Amino acid sequence: MTQNLSVNGKQVPVDVPPEMPLLWVLRDVIGLTGTKFGCGMALCGACTIHLDGRAVRACTTPISAVAGRSITTIEGIQADKVGRAVQAAWRELSVPQCGYCQSGQIMSATVLLQSNPNPTDADIDAAMSGNICRCGTYPRIRAAIKRAAASVGAKP
Amino acid sequence: MKWWATTALSVAVVGAFITWRALSQSVTHKPDVAATSDLRERGGYLVRAGDCVGCHTAAGHYQFSGGREFDLGRLGKLYSPNITPDKETGIGNWSDDDFRAAMQLGVGKDGKHLYPAFPYASYTLLSDDDVLAIKAYLFTLAPVRSVPPQNELRFPFNQRFLMAFWSLFFNPNQRFVTDAVHTAGWNRGKYLVEGLGHCGECHTPRNLLQARARGSAYAGAVTDHWLAFNISSDPDSGIGGWSDAALRSYLTEGFAADHGPASGPMAEVVSNSLRHLTDEDIGAIIEYLRTIKPVRAPLTAGAPIASPAAANLAHGKQVYEGVCANCHHIDGAGNQTRYEALNGSRSLRDPRANNLIQAVLYGSSMETPLGQVSMPGFAGGYTDSDLAAVINYATAQLGGGRAGALDAASVQRSRRAP
Repeated sequence: MTQNLSVNGKQVPVDVPPEMPLLWVLRDVIGLTGTKFGCGMALCGACTIHLDGRAVRACTTPISAVAGRSITTIEGIQADKVGRAVQAAWRELSVPQCGYCQSGQIMSATVLLQSNPNPTDADIDAAMSGNICRCGTYPRIRAAIKRAAASVGAKP
Repeated sequence: MKWWATTALSVAVVGAFITWRALSQSVTHKPDVAATSDLRERGGYLVRAGDCVGCHTAAGHYQFSGGREFDLGRLGKLYSPNITPDKETGIGNWSDDDFRAAMQLGVGKDGKHLYPAFPYASYTLLSDDDVLAIKAYLFTLAPVRSVPPQNELRFPFNQRFLMAFWSLFFNPNQRFVTDAVHTAGWNRGKYLVEGLGHCGECHTPRNLLQARARGSAYAGAVTDHWLAFNISSDPDSGIGGWSDAALRSYLTEGFAADHGPASGPMAEVVSNSLRHLTDEDIGAIIEYLRTIKPVRAPLTAGAPIASPAAANLAHGKQVYEGVCANCHHIDGAGNQTRYEALNGSRSLRDPRANNLIQAVLYGSSMETPLGQVSMPGFAGGYTDSDLAAVINYATAQLGGGRAGALDAASVQRSRRAP
């Protein structure tokens, strides 16, 4: 079944079975390997992408459910002001350790800050609890979210 | 009349009645019918509508080869038989008469009485033609050599001959008769709901003798650990308030907006049976369901918990955010697909959280237009108090504000041996 996907602002034609998970399509068919496979069951958040601006787990999203909707992956996050601020904060505070969960962390953090420019610790817990990190870099993630919030707020 | 004469007469009358009913529990002999390809094809559809594969298949085994366990609580356990046409372990040696006796009377080959876990009291409505079509289809399957585990029923339930008495009272042993007052669609719907679909076998509460309670048809019952909801036409307790479109969507796709997804055994029914029915047959089912007598039966709570703090909602929120929100989203509206949308689901409004406990412990899986959608079970990774807390949070937050009343013990009681 051929369809046009809107990925990071571009139209990409794919011919895949309708039940194929979006994660497979992104990584294996289109070749965007920044989004990671962690659990395949929407329990770890490593595969988080944006679908029409919502943080969604690509491993359990069948391609038939994304027709006509706009997909943003980690490769496209710098096109957004908040996304750039999150990436900068991540660099400044050396947030990643092994890095495997970080695409998903950045995607979830960006959605949080887009809807909540000044999140409390409880807000951060609520929004980020679905992204787990085996290395335990959670304190740096929290600090970087607050730093990104400050820098987005500070810019004119 | 003298007392002894009255007694003797009463015994004679009752004895005659029982004998007459017992004698009427047999099929009139008909020679076997040659199976045509039309008959087999029609049978294939009827087998889907009757969901034979659901009960006659054990997880990981060949379809229709039996062995599925039925945990009947205090009564014990029984296992479904092999209905592939294997000559030694299946129904390969059964004549048409044998098969009709099983489906219409609940009597297997060589007079072996069947337990009414096999819903022959519903299938008895099926016409002879439909029963033979079903047999013709089953005989197209590859024979599978498979012997189910032995039943483990407590005395006296392990005495099969007692089922003859059960049948006398509870099997009407009558084929479906068209009611000319109603439309053809309604009649087809009744045939499907009361007969082939045997919906009442899960959705109707049972009396002490394990027969369906006549006065509360479709009022809801816990069957196979899951609460099969009230599907009478009552607008509050039943489905009287559902639109036709919502019913159709739920039956054929396993989901209706503002009512949530089908889960557990109903997800299996959608996967195995309902999604394969014709549009017309679904319409007929809906037409008949609408006329089921409304039964008002509000869901009752268990013992209330001591205080909201005891519900452990803060911990439940934490668990929900980390585990559940990935799919169900913070607001319960679903993240990846509509099947994750819990808003409006009756399971969330059940004060005993019966189905939530089952789904959270053991998950649920369904074939849908989007492919297979499934929820994993969390019995292994989380404690009873974690799960009680998250269920309390979900019912309070997403179920219309009614605080959950579960404690760790409620969850622990629902855990089954692996």
